[in-house]
Order: sequence, then structure tokens, then C-alpha cells
Amino acid sequence: MYLRIGIILAIMVVAYSLAKWKNLSVELSMLSAAVCGGIAGAFVSTPPIGQLARHLVEGAFTYLDVILVFSTATIFMAIVRESGGVNYVVRATIKYFYNLRIIALILLMIIVLIPGALTGAGSVSLLVVGAPVALALGYLGITKRRIAAILFIVAGLSAAAPPVNIWAMILSAGTAIPYVGFELPLGIPVLILGTFTVLFLGWKRERTMDLGEVLKEMPEVPERMSWWRVILPFLIFFGLIVASRILPFSTPILGLPLEFVIAALVALLVSPKKIKILELSRDTMKRLLPLLATMVVVGMLQQVMTATGVRGLLSFAVISTPITLLFILLAVIIPVSEGVLTYGGAAIIGIPLIWFLDSIGLHATVAIAGLSLLWPLGDGLPPTALIGRLSVMVSEYKDSYWTFLRSTWLPWLIITVVGILMIKFSADLEFLVRWSI
Amino acid sequence: MPLIMILYYIICAYIAGMLVWNFIREKKSVNDMLLYLLVMIPLVLRILRVK
Repeated sequence: MYLRIGIILAIMVVAYSLAKWKNLSVELSMLSAAVCGGIAGAFVSTPPIGQLARHLVEGAFTYLDVILVFSTATIFMAIVRESGGVNYVVRATIKYFYNLRIIALILLMIIVLIPGALTGAGSVSLLVVGAPVALALGYLGITKRRIAAILFIVAGLSAAAPPVNIWAMILSAGTAIPYVGFELPLGIPVLILGTFTVLFLGWKRERTMDLGEVLKEMPEVPERMSWWRVILPFLIFFGLIVASRILPFSTPILGLPLEFVIAALVALLVSPKKIKILELSRDTMKRLLPLLATMVVVGMLQQVMTATGVRGLLSFAVISTPITLLFILLAVIIPVSEGVLTYGGAAIIGIPLIWFLDSIGLHATVAIAGLSLLWPLGDGLPPTALIGRLSVMVSEYKDSYWTFLRSTWLPWLIITVVGILMIKFSADLEFLVRWSI
Repeated sequence: MPLIMILYYIICAYIAGMLVWNFIREKKSVNDMLLYLLVMIPLVLRILRVK
């Protein structure tokens, strides 16, 4: 049996490698691995060939809810950006805190954290606020290499930040753990690690500019833009979330996608300039395409791996690894799985890992939060390097990619240590989950 | 059908509509065309209420 499943796994790996070799995208490479794995499994009727198409389509539905959250949240953030809200906040940060460097850096970090925290995708943070924040960091006298490093780490952390963390959502869905109680286990480390990163990488001022000159160079904001126009949509969004917590029996269960739609409609209504919503939505969906396709294909891959027994084999491999070795390997396996499979790594390696950690008495929710800190690091690793490449792009850094990545070594190391310690001591940190609920 | 469920069908239809629009306008990248079709699978089947 092991040999048979091992052969199916080898065929999937070869199919993925061949597809990558032929320069197919990561999503199509994963799809070819899923299809080839399914066909190989059909030779031994796991699954029967007649059931293969059903498994693939059924797998495509696995993350439909995540797809809806991604889409609606990103359209909401795109409306805020298009209305001039992002430029307004970045400009105000520089205007009032240009000489208070620590506060300016922390505020710019929070601006990068918000879109990723709301959408679950660090790439959305970079697409929505990356360019103006990179500009502001440049005015604070930070080199382009360090700007790219700050954006990469903080955008990665934003994807891990609550309320929407896709890795945690995938793991929760796959291990039948409710997606609740993640606010503090994720929020506290993200804020501490983000603050450390932005201060460590952004403290050194390479050049100084006059504030008046900086403000003249920054992008203009619409004349009628004001604080309440920026804040109101966010207040409505968080208000809906809080209302459902405080009044659970008298508030209808709207769900995150509908809450984002309501917030988007408010943002559209209070926008000081006219927004062509259909064109904006179409453009947003185009930008989101690789992320959405990844979610669909990961679902298919997961379904085929389950039907063929490959997922069981990997689970067995995980629970057979000596625990000390496993903790050491996490620092490599988790980021590499993200670099190769993007969110697929969470489904394929993360789910059996959480089953195992739960079975040895660790707290699953805190362990998931700890793992969630490690996955974003892989977004700087090839072949995908999604956030890494975007960070380089928006910061207009032109030198070697590896030089940029090397400059993130200390935040990378500290995030890795914090993530692994959170898993190791997850049972002791269980109070964070209790306080979140 | 509850109102919230109807709203979710409308959200699905809106997103699927944007994807179809992009798919039709996409003339160069075969990769992107394939990805649009893939992402449309769950959305279209959900709108048609096919499980």
C-alpha cells in the first residue's frame, strides 16, 4: 500500500516539476499535479476514473468562502484607495509626524497592516498601499533595499494578522477547529514583530529633506477628502463584527463577505470623487486572479490527495518524525512549502501537523497562530515569491533580489523563533484564545 | 430563501460577471484565460445551485 501511494505522490511531484520546467504558472502546475495524481490513482481505483471529475469539481468548492472574502475585501480596499483615502492618511502621517520618526514609522506599518489584515493577502496590502507607503518611507530617508525589506516583512505579517488569516482558515476548515479566538494569538505577535521590523530596518536615516519639499512631492488628495470619509467605512465594518459578538441573538449572521460589501457601499457613498465601480471591480478581479486560482487549485489538489491516500501518507510521515527534529524542521519546511505551493502548503503539510500537535496535548488554535507567522516568510522564496517580488516592484528597488532578501535576516530569524516558541508553548498561551472569545 | 442567502447569490453573480468580462477581454494570455475558467467553476455552479 505504501509503495502504491508513494508512486502516486512521485507522479504528482514529477507532474508539478515538469509543468514548472515548461514555464507554466504555479497554479497550472498544481492543477497538473492534481490531475496526474488523480489519473495515477484511478489505475488502482482510488478514486475510480468515473469519479475523478467529480472530485476535482468538489475540490474547487473547498475554499469558495475564502474566495468571496478575498474578492469583496479587495474591492472594498480598492474603493478606499481610489477615493483618495490611502493617499490622505499617508500624507497626514508625514505632515504631522515627519520629525517624530518612531511614530511615523509605526503609523506607516499600521497602514500596511490594515488591508492585509482585512483581506488575508499581503499582496493586497502592497497593491493598495504599497506605493504611497514606499514613497513616504523614502522621504524618511530609508534606502530602497530597506524599504523593500520592510514592505516584504510587514505585508507578510499583515496576511497573518486578524480578522482574516487564510492559513488559519484553511487549517481550521481542514481540522474541524472553529475559526474563533485568533484575535489575540495573532494580533499581539504581529504588532510586536511588525514594530520591531519597521524600527530595526527603518531607523537609519540616509538623507534628510525639508518637510515642505516632501509634501510638495507627495501625491495630491481630493479637496473634499476628510478623516470621517476615510474612517466611516471601517467603523461600519468593525461595528458589524462587534455587533454580532455583543448581540449574537438579535444580530443577523451576515458573514465577512457581506460585511465587506456593506462597508464598500458606504465607502462608495462617502467618496469625494466619482468612482467607476464596474471598471474598478473588473480591474481588482484581474489583479486577484492568481490568488483566487490558487485557492481553487489548492482545493482540487487537497481533494485528490485525500482520495488517493497521499494526504494520509504525508500525515503519517509527519507523526512519525521525532518531535525535536520536527520543531527544528518547521523553520525550513513551512516557508519552503509556501514558496512552492503558496496556500497549498497549509492544506498539505499544515493540516496533518495540527492533528499531530493537537494529539500530543498542544493547543491547536495557538499552534495554528504560531505556524501562521512562519508561512508568510515563504512568500519571499522562489518559485512563487509573490510578496517578495511585489515588494521589490513597489519600492522600485533595482539591485539583486537576494541582497534584498538577505537584509531581512534578523526580522526573519526573530519571527521564526517566535512562531516556533508559540507552537512549543501553545498550551501555556491558551489564555490568549480565552480572552479573544 | 432567506434574504442573506439571496444577497450571497448576488455577490457570487457579480464576481462571476467580472470574471466573465475579464475572460472575454483577455486576448493575449492563455494562462490567464485558463485561470479565469478555473475560478469560475465554483461560482457558476453555486449560482446554478449545482452541488
